[in-house]
Amino acid sequence: MTHQFDAIVVGSGITGGWAAKELTEAGFKVLMIERGRAIEHGDYSRETKAPWDMPFRGEGDPDLYAGDYPVQRLNRHFTEFTQDHFVNDRENPYATEAETAFTWFRSYQLGGRSLTWGRQAYRWSDYDFGANKRDGHGTDWPIRYADLAPWYDHVESFIGVSGAREGLAQLPDGQFQPPMALNAVEVALRDKIRAKWPERVLTIGRTANLTQGKPDEGRNPCQYRSICARGCSFGAYFSTQSSTLPAAMKTGRLTVLTDKVVEKVDYDPVTKRVTGVRWLDTKDRSRGSATARMVFLNAGAFNSVHLLLNSASEAMPHGLANGSGVLGTHIMDHANTMGALAVMPGFELHTSFGNRPTGIIIPRFRNMERLDGVGHTRGFSFQGGALQSGWSRGKREAGTGAQFKEALRQVGPWRMVLVSFAECLPRPGNRLTLDRTRTDANGLPLLNIAFAFGKEEHAAVAEAHACATEMLTHAGGQVLFGSDTPGPGGTAIHEMGGARMGFDPATSVLNGHSQAHGIANLFVTDGAQMSSSACQNPSLTYMALTARAAAYAKEQAQAGAI
Amino acid sequence: MADHDPSLWKRRDVLGGAALFALAVGLPVAAIRLTDLSPDDRPTPRLRRMLREVSQLVIPRSDTPGAGDAGVGDFLIFALAHGMEGTGEPFSHPGTDLPLRANGSLRHTHWLETELDRRGNGDWLALSPTRRAEMLAALDHQAFPDGPPPAVLSPWRAIKGLILTGYYTSQIGGAQELRYALIPGRYDADLPFSSHDRAWSSDWTAVDFG
Repeated sequence: MTHQFDAIVVGSGITGGWAAKELTEAGFKVLMIERGRAIEHGDYSRETKAPWDMPFRGEGDPDLYAGDYPVQRLNRHFTEFTQDHFVNDRENPYATEAETAFTWFRSYQLGGRSLTWGRQAYRWSDYDFGANKRDGHGTDWPIRYADLAPWYDHVESFIGVSGAREGLAQLPDGQFQPPMALNAVEVALRDKIRAKWPERVLTIGRTANLTQGKPDEGRNPCQYRSICARGCSFGAYFSTQSSTLPAAMKTGRLTVLTDKVVEKVDYDPVTKRVTGVRWLDTKDRSRGSATARMVFLNAGAFNSVHLLLNSASEAMPHGLANGSGVLGTHIMDHANTMGALAVMPGFELHTSFGNRPTGIIIPRFRNMERLDGVGHTRGFSFQGGALQSGWSRGKREAGTGAQFKEALRQVGPWRMVLVSFAECLPRPGNRLTLDRTRTDANGLPLLNIAFAFGKEEHAAVAEAHACATEMLTHAGGQVLFGSDTPGPGGTAIHEMGGARMGFDPATSVLNGHSQAHGIANLFVTDGAQMSSSACQNPSLTYMALTARAAAYAKEQAQAGAI
Repeated sequence: MADHDPSLWKRRDVLGGAALFALAVGLPVAAIRLTDLSPDDRPTPRLRRMLREVSQLVIPRSDTPGAGDAGVGDFLIFALAHGMEGTGEPFSHPGTDLPLRANGSLRHTHWLETELDRRGNGDWLALSPTRRAEMLAALDHQAFPDGPPPAVLSPWRAIKGLILTGYYTSQIGGAQELRYALIPGRYDADLPFSSHDRAWSSDWTAVDFG
């Protein structure tokens, strides 16, 4: 059979860009299909606007947000400056089970959520890849850290990750650019925590913002604006536009289609191969298709599962690659909430300049060598940072007149925030299905989400709250607020799973190469492939798994197996 | 309000002064187009004067323009008409007769006008500047009592919040009263603090977390 392309990549976000880069650099002719509009690097229309340039001063139109962005507006990075980088909820509905509260944050555009992501880039460890085997939840990962370590090296070196080496088994060091600095409060907190609890290490966030430019790739160092989600024409943070897309385009082997939503992946039951994809043009409503030797799904965890479910056929009536029946199940998101927020007295003579685009992390310290978690067997970690209050503190304070104005002229007290991220167990009942009664604007069945945290996540978040409180209090902080209850699913924007990896085709969708069991030329390399969730950000691991899968696909193609 | 009101000349002086001041700093008095609002939300001239005055009392003129000078009175009208700062949500305030919209939200502008006039013997604007400031300070103090926030929050809290938003996100408040750096270009993690240093309105995280 003659194919139009060697590979089709569905999606252009963090992993789609990586798949396109690696596959084109491997010599393949690649078609990348994006459902959203094209955005050129540098064409970020609100990047340099000041609040006074904006109709709603950067806070946005409440009526518009209530009607069109009721979910997306809950994202911390969603503002009047960034709203065009998020989906319109009214035009892109999803369904939830009656008891499910799930905030699904999405960005349908060239670059996907790589434009709006939090840029935290952490390796996972064998505590994470061994977690399911250790406590029996979910299915064992078919890979371990050693399988992925060289691919982490590869990805970090290319995207640029700044961070400090700490020698921690639970958060392995990587190929780091120089770290951004801790501020005075964070340095003091790090020292006080470590003196009392040596296993608790506060370190600067490992972030995909460059501290050293990469001029050969047209990328400049971070300018310390911390307005990344507007888009960065300096190319200082990793996005598809700044990094992988130019690399893939440079090969001359990449074709990009935008405004086309893939409706179905075609499957040939005779050859047991996928043959290509079909799409709907969302602008002119025309339909099209392309064939390829292999297909990579990188539509985002839930949308890749959605596409597999929508690709049911006579041969695979329950969804493509769903011979096991587990497709859509075991979805996860980190249990996420404000662990503690404290005023930190004693630093009144210190201040800082510039907007650092990362905070700190206190990696997991529970359930490592021994199971010492209270009511849970996995990990939790903290992210956050210290900041000096600005003018908006005046909204909570009494005062009018000259003295009030004079007080707000200066920075306010230092505050320290610790946000809890607890590992989410993979559960069969947390799952994605097709809503058979409702369709979206493209005529596709709505994706239905059933999700709830269990007692383990609640226990972990409660313990995290206690730990955050004791650490900040020990360091002299006055805790103002903290939560022992996770926010709704989706809050962490780390939704994953649904097409999990595993050894056994009867209980998993993908093998250890992100390759569908029984369909050798179908790969799913976004968050859908995850078998467990760890308690640190997953995007770096998705990228490493994508690069690894692309290399495997090349080997298989050369061997004639694909 | 009739033209023979004895306080009118004072108000004209205030408004004239504001216009001259705005001319000096190169900004229009009102950058907001109130004509774009629905008829229900368009202010009377009196209400417009009152909101300008209230804004100026919260953030007065010093070596930089005040909030009234910066057009925050009109921003308030715009922001409240659009429900910013949560003011578009249904309002429940037991035991009072309040001006509500069809959707159940409070007409904060009308509430404030009524409340200030009630405190000001029927015409708050007719009071002396000192008395106006004292009454607004009293209203503010009652809305922000010492200790935890009261169970029923005064509508003034949202109005004051919007006055601060309007001022510190204006060019005057954000870049003259405070400092604004679109491109800091570097991060200095630990600098000695000087009480002469002005805060950065462009520290977005600080604004987010207060």
